[in-house]
Amino acid sequence: CTDNFIETNQNPNQISDELLKQDFNLVGSPFSNMIFNLNGHQIEEDLCADNWMGYMGTPTDFVGNVNNTTYYIRWNSFWGREYGSVMSPAKQVIKLAQENNLPLFATWAKLIRILAMTKLTALHGPIIYSQYGTTANSIPYDKEADLYPLFFSQLDSIQTEFTANKEYTGFKKFDPTKYNGSIPSWMKVVNSLRLRLAMRISKVDPAMAKTQGEKALSDPAGLITTNADNFVNSLNGNKIPVAQICYEWDDTRMGAPLESFLIGLKDGRISKYFAPISNAALYADHPSVPYKGIRNGAYIKAKADHVPFSKVSEDFQTVQTRRNFTAAEVAFLKAEAGLRGWTGAGDPKTNYEEGIKLSFADWGAGGVDAYLADKTSKPINYVDPIDARNNFTAASTITVAWNESDPNEMKLEKIITQKYINTFTNTVEAWVDFRRTGYPKIPGVAKNDSNGDWGAIPADQWIKRMPFVTAERTGNTDAITDAVTKMGTGAKDDIATRLWWDTGKAANF
Amino acid sequence: NKKQINSRLAQEIKGTVKNGKGSAISGVNIVLKGATVGTITNADGAFSINVPDNNAVLVFSSIGYLRKEVAVGSQKTIEVVLVEDVNQLGEVVVTALGIQREKKALTYATQQIGGSELRQAANTNFVDALNGKAAGIDIKVSSSGAGGSTRAVLRGNKSLQGSSEALYVIDGIPMVNNKGAQPGSYGGTDGGDGLSAINPADIESISILRGANASILYGSQGANGVILITTKKGKEGKLSVDFNSSAVLEKVSGLPDFQYRYGTVGGDYSWTPVGTPEVKSDNYQKDYINDFFQTGSTFTNSVAITGGNANTNVYFSYANISSKGIMPTNTYGKNNFSFRQSTRLLNDRITISSGVILSSEVSRNRPGAGYYNNPLTGLYLFARDRDFTSYKNNYAVFNEARNMDKMNWYSTEEKQNNPYWELNRDPKRQSYKRLIANVKLAYDILENLRFEVRANIDYNNVLDDKRYAASGNSVSVSPNGTWAYARYTDQSVYTDGILTYNKSLGDFSLNALAGLSYQENKYNDGMTVNNGTVSLQYPNVYTFANMPYNVIFNSHPDYSNTIKQGAFANLSLGFKDFLFLDLAGRNDWASTLALTGNQSYFYPSIGGSAVISQILDLPKAISLLKVRASFSQTANEVPYNRVVPLSSIGGAGGPTGIGGINRPTQVPFTNLKPEKIVANEYGLETKFFNNRLGLDFTYYNGVSTSQFLSLAAPSGSGYTTYYVNAGRIENNGFELTLNAEPFRTDYFRWNTTINASQNNNKIVELIASNPNYQVGADTEGFASLIKAGGSFNDVYVYKFARNDAGQIILDKNGVPTKEATQTLVGNVNPKLLLGWTNNLSYRNFFASVLVNGKFGGVAFSKTEAFLDSYGVSKRSADARDAGAVPINAVTPEGATVTSIAPYTYYSAVGDRNKIMEPYVFSRTNVRLGQLVIGYNFKSKGANPVFKDASISFVGRNLFFFYKKAPFDPEQAMSTNNALQSTDVFGLPSTRSYGLNLKFSF
Repeated sequence: CTDNFIETNQNPNQISDELLKQDFNLVGSPFSNMIFNLNGHQIEEDLCADNWMGYMGTPTDFVGNVNNTTYYIRWNSFWGREYGSVMSPAKQVIKLAQENNLPLFATWAKLIRILAMTKLTALHGPIIYSQYGTTANSIPYDKEADLYPLFFSQLDSIQTEFTANKEYTGFKKFDPTKYNGSIPSWMKVVNSLRLRLAMRISKVDPAMAKTQGEKALSDPAGLITTNADNFVNSLNGNKIPVAQICYEWDDTRMGAPLESFLIGLKDGRISKYFAPISNAALYADHPSVPYKGIRNGAYIKAKADHVPFSKVSEDFQTVQTRRNFTAAEVAFLKAEAGLRGWTGAGDPKTNYEEGIKLSFADWGAGGVDAYLADKTSKPINYVDPIDARNNFTAASTITVAWNESDPNEMKLEKIITQKYINTFTNTVEAWVDFRRTGYPKIPGVAKNDSNGDWGAIPADQWIKRMPFVTAERTGNTDAITDAVTKMGTGAKDDIATRLWWDTGKAANF
Repeated sequence: NKKQINSRLAQEIKGTVKNGKGSAISGVNIVLKGATVGTITNADGAFSINVPDNNAVLVFSSIGYLRKEVAVGSQKTIEVVLVEDVNQLGEVVVTALGIQREKKALTYATQQIGGSELRQAANTNFVDALNGKAAGIDIKVSSSGAGGSTRAVLRGNKSLQGSSEALYVIDGIPMVNNKGAQPGSYGGTDGGDGLSAINPADIESISILRGANASILYGSQGANGVILITTKKGKEGKLSVDFNSSAVLEKVSGLPDFQYRYGTVGGDYSWTPVGTPEVKSDNYQKDYINDFFQTGSTFTNSVAITGGNANTNVYFSYANISSKGIMPTNTYGKNNFSFRQSTRLLNDRITISSGVILSSEVSRNRPGAGYYNNPLTGLYLFARDRDFTSYKNNYAVFNEARNMDKMNWYSTEEKQNNPYWELNRDPKRQSYKRLIANVKLAYDILENLRFEVRANIDYNNVLDDKRYAASGNSVSVSPNGTWAYARYTDQSVYTDGILTYNKSLGDFSLNALAGLSYQENKYNDGMTVNNGTVSLQYPNVYTFANMPYNVIFNSHPDYSNTIKQGAFANLSLGFKDFLFLDLAGRNDWASTLALTGNQSYFYPSIGGSAVISQILDLPKAISLLKVRASFSQTANEVPYNRVVPLSSIGGAGGPTGIGGINRPTQVPFTNLKPEKIVANEYGLETKFFNNRLGLDFTYYNGVSTSQFLSLAAPSGSGYTTYYVNAGRIENNGFELTLNAEPFRTDYFRWNTTINASQNNNKIVELIASNPNYQVGADTEGFASLIKAGGSFNDVYVYKFARNDAGQIILDKNGVPTKEATQTLVGNVNPKLLLGWTNNLSYRNFFASVLVNGKFGGVAFSKTEAFLDSYGVSKRSADARDAGAVPINAVTPEGATVTSIAPYTYYSAVGDRNKIMEPYVFSRTNVRLGQLVIGYNFKSKGANPVFKDASISFVGRNLFFFYKKAPFDPEQAMSTNNALQSTDVFGLPSTRSYGLNLKFSF
């Protein structure tokens, strides 16, 4: 008698689709997890863009002080998180939504997929997207020049479907963001994302960038313009990674480049980002400001050396949400769009100052008026009281105050620098801006361990991309070979090859 | 007066010697008691011998039979019947399903070991005691001390992602052996297994059925071979009581070589970088590592009572083990009760029997291995210039800010703790409450036809409770402490019904059986919770109520429930007692294959044997010559819940907190098939010189195909994992047992046995379309991989980058560079296993010596790699004394370098991810595995106070004749597939010695 075999071989601690249909959990419940996984943790963020962009520095000599932070790739796992925890469940949700006649959930899942893939392509360049989920033996990668138009056209249809269903309330129970399932709020995300992507390609394909940027600026659904509109999602009961890595593992601290900007520009957000330290010997170079950061790609002799440096602010220990897209970022995008002459962008100065005000308000920092008016304070040089090899001289000489007579390049540096400071804890886009524009002017790594294994980065350069993941290199070899050719002539699957929109041209205009 | 007797042998006595079945026994030794001369029986079992007078006593002995003394008296002819001795390398062995068979009728290899031999050295775990005593079994014992798990593999590793370990069977019924978690590089503790519940004193004998051929009647689960345990039963006759007590001490025998002369410039490493003055003193503390370990002790006391009458017999035993390990605070205790009874009814046509084993085990602070929460990391790596005594005495310091104790340690490294904080503030408890109960009814329907039905329940209640105090290591312990708790049960219900028919018709004999079996195993049925580094609500309170809200109480992640139904039949035909044919077949229905259409599967076995010595006229020196061959196919079931898994709750969670839905991202595997193993074996069994020399040789080969393999699904597929049936793994090798009795007099006996085996493993193919597919991954500098073209558990590490001339390439700073990829440096499995057992007796003295050798393969020590990079190894100090490390290297400019600064060298090798080449050692080792010396007290008089008593000295792992690895490769950090022959801060090797006392009346 084998009648009970099917039931026996199913785990009673798991849930069947039949039970999940109740309360529409079948299509709705995976969203929380998918949106949570738009962001990574220590090895995907803290030891990658957080470090490369100088937001955070690690006091730990991981793998003998030879690791991602010193340009030797040890961890490369954002890819796996996005395909495993976003793309794969999204594919199922789209199918189930169609089968169960709940098509808007499919629309929503498609938007989440684009949010995930636009972050992932910013790391690797070509990714698997248009052919995703097919049963071919070797699934090809999309080249970036094809990806972006596809993203834009998919955003078009998403927006069309949302527009027709603005009053729909079915998302409410499943929405882990503060939008509470409001479709008009998600429509602002669509427009803001379109603007973000348009700006990414503004140097490599200015025409398409302008068309799409102007479309985003003029769409009646509007952009994320107030902090109440911010795309902020629940941490689902988890600590925000920077707090856990900092307070529980002692593996991350304030970054020296950000110290150079925040202290130099007398930025009130410093106390919202970081915790002061008590050992005055450590910050003797600026005795009135009790913070100290760690250099990007620092020389680390022993973990204990840099552990006493500034942690992230205690506030992060209890924070329940994290930022994915803020009104301040939109304002800075509009400021740059204004410099680029896109219709509907508005005045760059207004947007620039609005961005800073939104950011100060969002982070709860004071003193924004004085900050905006400051024409003299400049980024400071950095001193590592433990190891002088980590010292650097500030490359940037900008101030905060807008000066209409500045050349566009200087204006852009100010915009991107402020955009950079604002986007603390959500750093991938700052790495995009840096590769795209060269701003903010941060130092190179102190210790450069890049070599032929993953690609050599010259002393005056920075990491350009993440290699494709090992599983794909060994398991999808033909597609990888093809993907490398799609990155252009001379491209290699290494960290020194530029992405499509990273034109390598110093001039931004 | 011997001489007199020898000179006047007046009377001639004639007779025959037969076995219990009435067959003549040839080659039986017959001596006149007190004399050295004697004779042997001929092919018909007949003999003649001269004796001096009516007082003469004849002693009959033959391998496989109990010795018998016969007083001649006035008899001129004597008929002697010798009783078979199942404890010897006997003629009758226990085979599958508990069926006793004549060994010569078997068509496959088996080896039987008597319970007394297993108990000789007072092992707490009977599997450990098998080491070296049987051919072809590769045994690893967890280094975690008494109650730890074991790993026993017969004929090589066969299953890539399942287990290759043998099935354990008690009295014909499969036993639950669900192994707990095992340590990895990052830490963990041996979770024990189900075998420690068995009281070695209850074991009558163990039969090892090495191949799938022998075990086909167990179905899938027997595919890796079977270790059959036959327990002691009650015996008809007077009440008999056996006491057994042993006290065994355990001492550390193999610590790494440390240095205590060089200190640090601050920080964690006992190094001074090139260009900075040396920190060096002869006055650093030196003994704290030796002093840290204590002498372990294990006290075992057992009593067994048996008795019965013609219809009913009973067996009762109680055993207690009380042990403390070499690691302070580690203890283990076990209480074990066994009861068995058997009653014959209805003129002996019905036999009802039952058995119960109750066992309770508790182990506290079982030592683990790996980086995290392991006292040995902090102990070994301690910066030499610091004051260890103060850290030892003040492992906790009062923290005013928190109004509570905080760990006192100078390093904040993730892998370092104050060892004494770890011992005293991080209590761990594992407990097992086990019940194995069975009933059996046998009914002799006709004279030759018997029906048996039996049922068995095996139930184990497991608790695994680990607590880590607040203010400990911030990487692995939450600020308010960490609680890792698991409670679950393992349950197995087994029942079968078997019909047997035995008949002799003229020259032919027939043994037939057919049966049905049902087995349901539910493992890891329970819950786990672990707050990890998410803070408990209140410090140091380990209750469910104190768990933070965002921690999920999970059902055990390894929960499984499997049902297997089998129908089997076996037919053995014998011709004239010298030609045998064995046919077996089985059909299984496995629940793990539901929905695949492959849930029912059949597999056959065929074998034959011929006793050539009974067919042909062979030289007299050859007492027995038997050849055998056997071919079988077995199917191995697949893991639980792999066909169509459902969604689970957990992970990152829902919008309002925890408990999101994780959809399965595995490709449904609806065409899953059972794994297939084809096994062939060919054997030769001979005995020479009146059975005083015996040889049993087996060559086997096995091919495993349709392996169940999990693959990361291509990123673009829409899934994360998929499974395939693929691969081809070949194992072949030989097993050899050589038994000899070089000396035998009335007073002195020497029995010697050599067990040897070799297994060659080849991974012919895994996934044809994906030649780079591998099982296993790099665990920080060490990768134990299974790849096509290689062997199971090949070791890959980073070697020095060398030029074509073999010179190590230095970088521009003069630092040795490593190769871009890890390269193959060997295999962790030994090539050749050798065990040499000697049993000697002289009058009342007896001794047993076991030399155990494993040859070939590599061992890998990450411990040594760390000790070097931290500058605490003797090696690193010797290099500093010498001022340089000799090296054959070359600079980027092409200049040859012959020496290098020790700091530069050891900073480039060692730790966990650097150049690991220097840390790969030969795993070959030869040891004095066991030494027993004892004295038997003979009872005297008509009504002796006792029947039997002995006292013996026992020693285990006393010393190595040869060992190159810096640790004992057989004392395993993990008994899983991964991390074999690897040491990552595991417990040091130990030697044990003690006393064993036996007393029966």
